[in-house]
This record gives sequence, C-alpha cells and structure tokens, in this order.
Amino acid sequence: MDTQTAEKTTELWPLAVYAGLVAATVLAIVTISYLLGERHRERATGLPYESGIVPTGTARRPLPVNFYLVAALFVIFDVEAVFLLVWAGAFRQAGWAGYVEIVVFAGVMGAGLFYLWRVGALKVIGGRGEHESGDTDEQ
Amino acid sequence: MLELLWLVPLAPLGGFLILAVARARLGRRAVATVGVGSAGVALAAAGAVAAGFFALPAAGRVYEQNLGTWISAGDLAARFVLHLDALALVMMAVVTLVGFLILLYSAESMAGDEGYARFFCYMNLFVASMLVLVLAGDLLLLYLGWEGVGLCSYLLIGFWYREPANARAAKKAFIVTRVGDAALLVGLLVLFTQMGTSDIGGLLARAAERWPTGSSVATLAALLLLAGAVGKSAQLPLQVWLPDAMAGPTPVSALIHAATMVTAGVYLLSRMHGLFALAPAAATVTAVIGAATLLLAGTSALVQRDLKRVLAYSTMSQVGYMFVALGVGAWGAAIFHFVTHAVFKSLLFLAAGAVIAALGEEHDLFKMGGLRQRLPLVFWTFLAGAASLAALPLVTAGFYSKEEILAAAWAGPAGGRWLWAAGAVGAAVTALYTGRMVFLVFFGTAKREPSQQPGWAMATVLVILAALSVSGWWLDPRWLLGGTEIAATLPVRLAGTAAALAGIVLAWYFYLRRPALAARVAQSRAGAALGRWWIGGWGFDWLYNFIFVRPYVWLTQLGRDELLDGPFRTLGRTLDLAHAGMSWTVTGRVRWYAAALAAGAIAAIAVAVWR
Amino acid sequence: MTGEDVIILLPLVIVAAAAVAAMLAIAVRRSHAATAGIALTGLAAALAEVLVNLWLKKGYVGHLAVMDNQALFVIGLVLAANLVVGILSYGYLSRRRERAEEYYVLLLLAALGGMVLAISIHFATFFLGLEVLSVSLYGLVAYERGRLGVEASLKYLVLGGTASAFVFFGMGLVYFDRGSMIFFWVDWLYGQYGPGPLGLVAMVGCVMMFVGIGFKLAVVPFHLWTADVYQGAPAPVTALVATVSKGAVLALVLRMARGSPWAGYYFGDRAVYYSGGVCPSAPVFWILAAIAVASMFTGNLLALRQRNVKRLLAYSSISHLGYLLVAVLVSGAAGATAAGFYLVTYFAATLAAFGVVTALSGANGEAESLEDYRGLAWRRPALAALMTVAMLSLAGIPLTAGFVGKFYLLTAGAGAGLWALVIILVANSGIGLFYYLRVVWAMFERRATEEKELPRIGVATGVVLAGLGAAVVLIGVWPGPLAELVRAWMGGGW
Repeated sequence: MDTQTAEKTTELWPLAVYAGLVAATVLAIVTISYLLGERHRERATGLPYESGIVPTGTARRPLPVNFYLVAALFVIFDVEAVFLLVWAGAFRQAGWAGYVEIVVFAGVMGAGLFYLWRVGALKVIGGRGEHESGDTDEQ
Repeated sequence: MLELLWLVPLAPLGGFLILAVARARLGRRAVATVGVGSAGVALAAAGAVAAGFFALPAAGRVYEQNLGTWISAGDLAARFVLHLDALALVMMAVVTLVGFLILLYSAESMAGDEGYARFFCYMNLFVASMLVLVLAGDLLLLYLGWEGVGLCSYLLIGFWYREPANARAAKKAFIVTRVGDAALLVGLLVLFTQMGTSDIGGLLARAAERWPTGSSVATLAALLLLAGAVGKSAQLPLQVWLPDAMAGPTPVSALIHAATMVTAGVYLLSRMHGLFALAPAAATVTAVIGAATLLLAGTSALVQRDLKRVLAYSTMSQVGYMFVALGVGAWGAAIFHFVTHAVFKSLLFLAAGAVIAALGEEHDLFKMGGLRQRLPLVFWTFLAGAASLAALPLVTAGFYSKEEILAAAWAGPAGGRWLWAAGAVGAAVTALYTGRMVFLVFFGTAKREPSQQPGWAMATVLVILAALSVSGWWLDPRWLLGGTEIAATLPVRLAGTAAALAGIVLAWYFYLRRPALAARVAQSRAGAALGRWWIGGWGFDWLYNFIFVRPYVWLTQLGRDELLDGPFRTLGRTLDLAHAGMSWTVTGRVRWYAAALAAGAIAAIAVAVWR
Repeated sequence: MTGEDVIILLPLVIVAAAAVAAMLAIAVRRSHAATAGIALTGLAAALAEVLVNLWLKKGYVGHLAVMDNQALFVIGLVLAANLVVGILSYGYLSRRRERAEEYYVLLLLAALGGMVLAISIHFATFFLGLEVLSVSLYGLVAYERGRLGVEASLKYLVLGGTASAFVFFGMGLVYFDRGSMIFFWVDWLYGQYGPGPLGLVAMVGCVMMFVGIGFKLAVVPFHLWTADVYQGAPAPVTALVATVSKGAVLALVLRMARGSPWAGYYFGDRAVYYSGGVCPSAPVFWILAAIAVASMFTGNLLALRQRNVKRLLAYSSISHLGYLLVAVLVSGAAGATAAGFYLVTYFAATLAAFGVVTALSGANGEAESLEDYRGLAWRRPALAALMTVAMLSLAGIPLTAGFVGKFYLLTAGAGAGLWALVIILVANSGIGLFYYLRVVWAMFERRATEEKELPRIGVATGVVLAGLGAAVVLIGVWPGPLAELVRAWMGGGW
C-alpha cells in the first residue's frame, strides 16, 4: 500500500463513518422498537379503538382528487411563507431593495393564488370549477 | 462604379433563384424578362465596372471586393473575394456580352419549348457560375465556379432528357470532364499545401519567390492544372465529350463553346500563367497538346455531315490554337483569340441554329443547300462568322488573332517552328472545312424550303455579332493585358496568311467548282478509310471504350458477385447483431432504468476512487 | 439585488414576467391565441433584449450568476429554440381538443430554467435552474394526458428526481471538501494553499453531480428514459427536451469544466484568478471519455432499426450528445467554440426534424411511425425536403450545417490529440448514416396504400420551418460568419 492509497483511505474515512452512522441509526430504530414494543395478538388488537365504535369498511376509500390538490397547494404556500419569515428577520438590513423584492415575491404568489381560484383548483368538493365549465361552453 | 462588381455574378444568380423558385408560376413573357434581364443587368453592371476600372490609374489596375468569409479553418481562409484585373475584365466583358446576346437569341428561338423556364433557369446559373469562376480571387471560389459550370453543362446538354441519347451525351460530358476536375482539385490542394494560402494573387507571388524555374513541384502543380483545363476545354486526351455535347439546344452549344465551359480551361491557364513560367516542361506539354488537338479536330471537322458537329470540332481546333499560344507563353494572344473566337463561334452557332430551325431540325449538311437567297440575313451573318473562322485576311477579327498565335509560335522557344507548321496546316484545314460548310449550306441547289425566318431578337443578335466578327483588329485586348510584343518577320506572317487563303481557294474549288471531284476523293479507298477514321474523331471513342469502359464494366461485373460486398455485408450484419443485443436494454420499466442509473453511478464513482 | 443586477438579468426578468402575465391572462379569460401571444411576445422581447445586452450590460450578479458572452450566446439559443417551439406548438395545439393555455406558462418556465443554467456559476443557481427546467418539462411531457404521455412524464419524474438527488448530494460533497459552491477557484477562499488537486470527497461529489447532469443530457448509462419520453411527449415538447434542456445543461458542463472562461478579472473588489473549473481531474476525464464513446455507439446502434421516428431521433440525440462530450473534453476555447457551433447546428436540425413531425401530427395522433412518412415527398414536397435536409444535417453530410459542426468537432478533437475519440466519432457518423437515410428513403418511396389526410400548415409554422431549413443549408454552405460569431462569444470574455 503506497502513500497515495493511504491518503485516499484517510480521506475516505468520514464517508465510511457517515455510512456506518446511517446504517447504525436505521438498525437501532428497528431493533429498539422491536425490543421495546409489546407483542401480543388478541381479538381486538388490530382494532383502532378497543372501547369505541367498531369500524366498518376500509379506510382506503378514494377521496376526490381535489383533496390532494388542495393539500399540495397548502404545503406549497405554507413553505413559501418561510421566505417571509426570513425576510422579516432581516427587515432593516434588507432595506428598500429587500422590500421591493419581497413585494414582487408576494405579488407573484398572489397571482398564483388568483389563478388557482379562477381555475377552480380551490374547490374541494364539486369537481370542476365554474370558470372551467364556462370555458367549455365557449368551445 | 467598381463597387458594383458583386452585382455582375449575383444578377444571373438571382435570375436563377427567381426562376428556380417561381418557375411554375411565371408566364413565358415573365420568364424571358427575368432570364434575359438578369444577364442584361450583369452586362450593365460589367459596363459600369469597366468604366470604373479605366478610371483607375494605369499603373496598378487591380480591384478586389471581399464579400465575406466562406470557410475559415486553420490555414485555410477562403473568402468570397472578387478579383478584377485586366484579364478578369476582358473575360467578364466577353462572358456578359456574349451571354446576354445568346440569352436574347434564345428568348425567341426557344419560345416553343415546354421547358422554357427550366432552360433560362439553367442558363442563368451557367452564366453566373462562369462569372464566379472568372472573377474569383480565391482558388476555392474559382473551383466553385468551375464545378458550377460543369454541373450546368450537364444539365443543359441533357436538356431534352427524354431522349436517351441526349442523357448519355450529358453523362459523357460530365464524366469525362470529371477526370480533369479531379486532377484540378489535386493541383489546387498541392498549391494550397505548398503555399499555405488559397488567395490566387498571394499564391502566385509566393510561388515565384519560393520555386526556382523548372522545379519539380511547380511542374507537377502546373501539369495537374493543365489536366483540369484539358478536360474542360476539350483538348487531347479528354476531347471526346465535346462533339456529343451537341445534343443540347443550339444556344447551349453557343454558350458552351463561346463564352463559358470550353474557355474555362483557357482562362485558368492564363490566370495561372505565372506558374507555367516556372514550369517550362508543362508549358511545352500545353503547346504540344494544343497543336495535336488542332490538327486532329480540324481534320475531323473536314468529314462531318452534321453542321453542329463541324462547329464542335472547329471549337476544339480553335481552342487548340489558344493552348499553343499559352504553351509558348503568349497568353495575351491566347486571350485575343478567345475574344474573337467567342464572337464568331457564338455567331456561327446561332446562325446555324437559325438554319436548323428553318429546315425543321435538319442537321445534315448534304441535305441543305442554296439557302443564300432564301435566308439572306442568316447567310450574310454566317458568312461573316465563317470568314472570321477561316481567318480571311485584313477584314476579319479571327485573322488578326490567329496571325498573332502563329507568329508567337514561330518566335517561341525550341520546337516553335514545328508548332508553327502545325498551326499553318491547321489554318489551311480550318479554311477548307469552313468553306465546305458555307458552300454546302448556302450555295448549290436548294433541297428544302426553309419554313421560317429569324425574328427581330435573333436577327439583332446575329447582326451585332457579325459586325463584331468582321470588325478587324480592334478587339485585341493586349494593350490592356500587357505582355511582350511578338517579333516575327513579315515572310512568316505572309506564309500563315497564304495557308488560310489556300484553304479557302481549295474549298471553293472542291465544293463549288468541282463537287464531283470532292465526292470522288471521298469515295476512293484511301479517302473512305480516312473519312471513317476522321468522322469519329480519330477513333478516340473506340479507343477509350476499349481501354477504360470495357475493363471498368468487367471489374464491376466481377464485384457484383459479392467480392467487395462481403466485408460490407459482414459489417452490416455485425451492426445489426449489435443493435439486437442492445435493444433489450430498453425495457420500458422504470425500476430497470433506475437500476442502470445507479449502476452507472457506482461504476463512475468506483473509477474516481480507484483510478 | 441591485438595480444593476436587474438590468443584467433583464432577459430572465422579461420571461418570468411573461410567465406571470400569461398565468393571469388565463385566470381572467381563457384564450389560446392571447396566451400564446403573450408567451411569444415575451420570448421575442427577451431575445431582443439579449442582443441589446451584448453591448449594454454584462457582469456578475452577486456570487450566483454571470452574464458574459457565453451566457448571452446560450440564452439566445435557448430563447430562439423556445420561440420556434412556441410557434410550432400553436398550430399543433390548435388541432387538439386539449386546453392549450397553461402549456405556454410551462414553456416560458422551461425557458427560464434554461437561462438560469446558462448564467449559473454557483451550485444554488445550478440547482434552481435545473429544477425549474425539469419541473416544467414534467408538466409539458404529460400535457396531452394520454396513456403514453402520462407514463412518459412519470418515468421522467421518478428518474429525474433520482438524478436531482445525485446532483444535490454531489454538491454537498464538493462543498464539504472545498468550502465553496462557486464553480471556479476564488483566491480569497484558497489564498493559503491554492486549489490543489481535488480531494477524494470532492472527486466523488463531482462524479455524482455528473450522474445527474448525464441524466439530463441522456448519455449512457443514464440514457434509458430518452426514447420513452421522446415518444410519449407531444412532438413540440419532444423538440424542447431534445434542444433546450440538453443545450442549457451542456453549456453548464462547459462552464464547470473550464471554470470562468477567462483569466484575471475582478470579482466585486477582489482579484480572482482562474485555474480550471471545479472538476478538471484525470479520472473525471476518463469517465467522460468512456461515457462519450458509449453514448456514440449505444445511440447509433439503438437507432439502427428503429421504425418510430420519435424514438429514432431520441437515440440519435444520445449519440449527438456523445459527439458533443468530445468537445467538452477538449479543454479551452477550442472545445467551447466547437461545442457552441455544434449546438447551433444540432438545434437547427433537430428543431427542423421535430418541426416536420409536429406539422404532420394531426388531431388523431402523432405522425411518428416510419409508415407515416412513406411517400411524403410526393404529397408534401416542401416538408419532405425540410426533413431530408434535417436528416442529412444530423447525419453530417456536406453542404448541411451538421457537416460543418462535425468538422469543427473533429478539428478540435484532433487539435487536442484525442485521436481515438475522433476516429470513433467518424466511425459512428458512418453507422448513423444508415438510419437517417432510411427516413429519407421512406419519404421518397412511392406509396401504394390509402392516404391519410394531412393537416394544414399555418403561415407562421411555414415561415419558421422554412427559416430552419434555410439556416441548416446556409450554415452548411457558408459557415464563416457563424463560426466567427461563435468564436467571439463562446471563446470567452465579455
């Protein structure tokens, strides 16, 4: 083993440690939950509420796709709010330039919201939006 | 005015483009307007340029116009550069003037043809290519024009392509000149690699600096250029295509013979005459080829029955004179003869075209006759052209230019006397077949009634060209070109003149005075054999068929049975197998794609880590 | 971000504004023509602005981006290609029942992503551009919502996400090693010990970044998605994937390979020196060379017997990117110039080919089978001529742009002494000829079967297609001006 390979190995060790840590963490989570978790299998173990209403049917029912759409939109707009918080923290340092930038940002977000509303993406129930149906008439 | 130079080649090119794009949508009148008009614009622009040229101080009369870079790669920096000097000016003037007149003539003569627009389209491209060739200041641009001329000759010789014979003639012209073109390309590449520039002026200057006279590289380059010129100018040994090129319409023949194709070789050698000065051996070869061709073609012209074939052989012979002049270094005389030849040969072709059209596409000399009274205009103009071709002393332009060439040959380097002798004999032969042609067509008894007279356009063109043909010595461009005066004694000049006169008298005697005698000579055993030999151009077609075509066909027959196909088929099959082996990788499954991506990433990282 | 920065970035600002405007216009009132008009006007205005910018304003935008000649050149290319695709799409979408308006918003965003990649000198802008481009393409690929389109988009999304993860991880590793996210060395970061050779971690990071980049470029072995996505996407979107997406990413690779293309300039008020890009080391060279060779062979061999024109062009693009990698391997101005020239020729020919596919694709499906092209020369001579020119150019036949492009590639490769690559490139051009000519051959065959009705071609589409054909031929016949232009712009400097 020459020095170069030795150097390489030295450089490699953080990577190896990192990989080892990842593996160890995953292993630990699985092992600990296995050790700590109770294991018994009675008649009502699988039921959500032993003392409540016995569920009927499956929970895997198809929800209207708009539900997911709204959920996704919520996440998107929620995350964008992070920028506002960051900017608020640096309000004075950012100055007017920062203010203009954040206004443009908010404006674009607002435009996006306006678009979503008009397209009917915000209607959780009821399927296609008014704007859309009006449009199909035109065609 | 000089700034208009770009318009000279681009006007016909524009005409070509318009006609090519809008061919089907234009009426005949519009087609003729565009086709002839574009050449007219070129002529006018050439006139303006010439005026500007003469306004330059006489010392350094050169003008260059750079229209942009074409290709730039390493040493090679080919430009769209137009170079105008005295030589280019003369050539440009002839090409635009004769080209315009021929196009004007065809506007009438081709009127009944269904391919009217196609004809003008090709003709405009032909003229444009020739102008690019003539004005090119860069070897690559010159080559572009050269190939363009070749292409157009192919398209126009085979213009009536429904006739298989015409298509064959076009193919023959293209393939035979191709041989010369290939040599030319090699020559250009030799020059380029040796000199490191493709600019003609710079190249010749460097050649004169670096190469001693008689150096082997210079000789090689000159010989390769000569081979190219020989192909285009239909000289020995690549002359066989020209007689067959008569298959095209008559204006095409006129253009090919007078202004464009055939003279391209003469122009090339004149343009590169500095190189030939460094290679005396190549110059000698040029002169010998010219002398041999002029005799061969002259004798062949004597026995032809087809009016246009006589003229075709006559062109070969006259270009032979130019080659002789080029070979002995008298390139000014060659250009002089080129100018006069352009005038009288286009005139002869156009007049012959009028005769042929009047007789209902009759080409056979022996079925014509007595047209003197019936087609008077055509007769007088044809006579003017014929007199110039036969070098009738003092009045005709052809006389002065041919005399200059003979004198130059006499005064030329060693062996000049032989060249002179060949030229003198050729002059007599020329006069003989010219007289034969005139007497057979226009004198004697009428065998057919002409069906039409030329209209105003054709008549105008014929008269202009006839006037130029008999206008004497003032077409001589040598005062412009410069070069040495040719010193030849008066007896030599007189002898040359006498040869031409003798030929005329002989023709008169044979074909007008005693036609029976001519027939007897032709029917005698020796005469008939000679006639058979000569009518096919000394049997070169037969020879080439035997030496090249048959073995080539045999070779291809040999290769037909997969002798050469084998390796290629194997290659194809291997690739096919590789394709089959490869195509299973595209399964359409994302997990497989992702696996390949991951595997590739792992392999790449492995290489990076354990290099 | 100062006012000056806004001026420098004006082409991007215009396109972004056009995207927002188009979205608002849709919200107010749906109109195909109006939305397309906004989008095309935006693209055209940005393109015009690029020309103005050439003389007006160049420079750095913080540490994140640079607007230099190369960036302007690539942006111009991206915008022009987007403009062409936009015009082609208008006729294409008009023939369909789909709602067309949102398409143009996505088109503008794709252009924006490509432009960000073109100006990027920092991992942040790199990733931003990559994602904006990719996400808009996911939407565009599935725009038809047919079975194939959705499948293609999903494949592209899953694999593209994976590739992005590789890029991100690679960036992290390089940053871990270098402490900088800028593509080239900055002396105040490395003032003490200089850049030095890449450490192992940084090297692995570089390779991982290239995995993601290779995915976008569709080079072997990251190429498998190409044919499916090309086939599933609507024809104009395929053109976009083939040109803008690959061209912008390749420009980024060039920048990373060369660093900033000129030496000794001022970055803010600090002197910076240039000593190669972020990944200039021997193993990376060998990996790229291997990828180039594999891409050339794989692309051409896969295309060999392909009967679907879109898939055929997909495989052909794999080999073309292989050719282009040869130019990337030639370091310095020569390589960048060759790559820039080749990109132009590849863009023109590819857009022309997909333009014909688009123009022939009617309301009932795409014209993608070779059968659809049989006898085209007798029915639509102009389109067939354009397709022929495009195929010949892609094959690299003289008097077309593709020949000159290959010529410059070969010159650059030979100049750098990469003889093996050059020879393989030439051999592959020979293989490629087979399938390009097959398309041409099919078009000139006499067709015996019954004839489908071909869609009409609008004026704008016709003009664009004619322009593309003329460009391909003109570059092939007279490459001088373009070569000088590319040399001036890709060679480096302001």
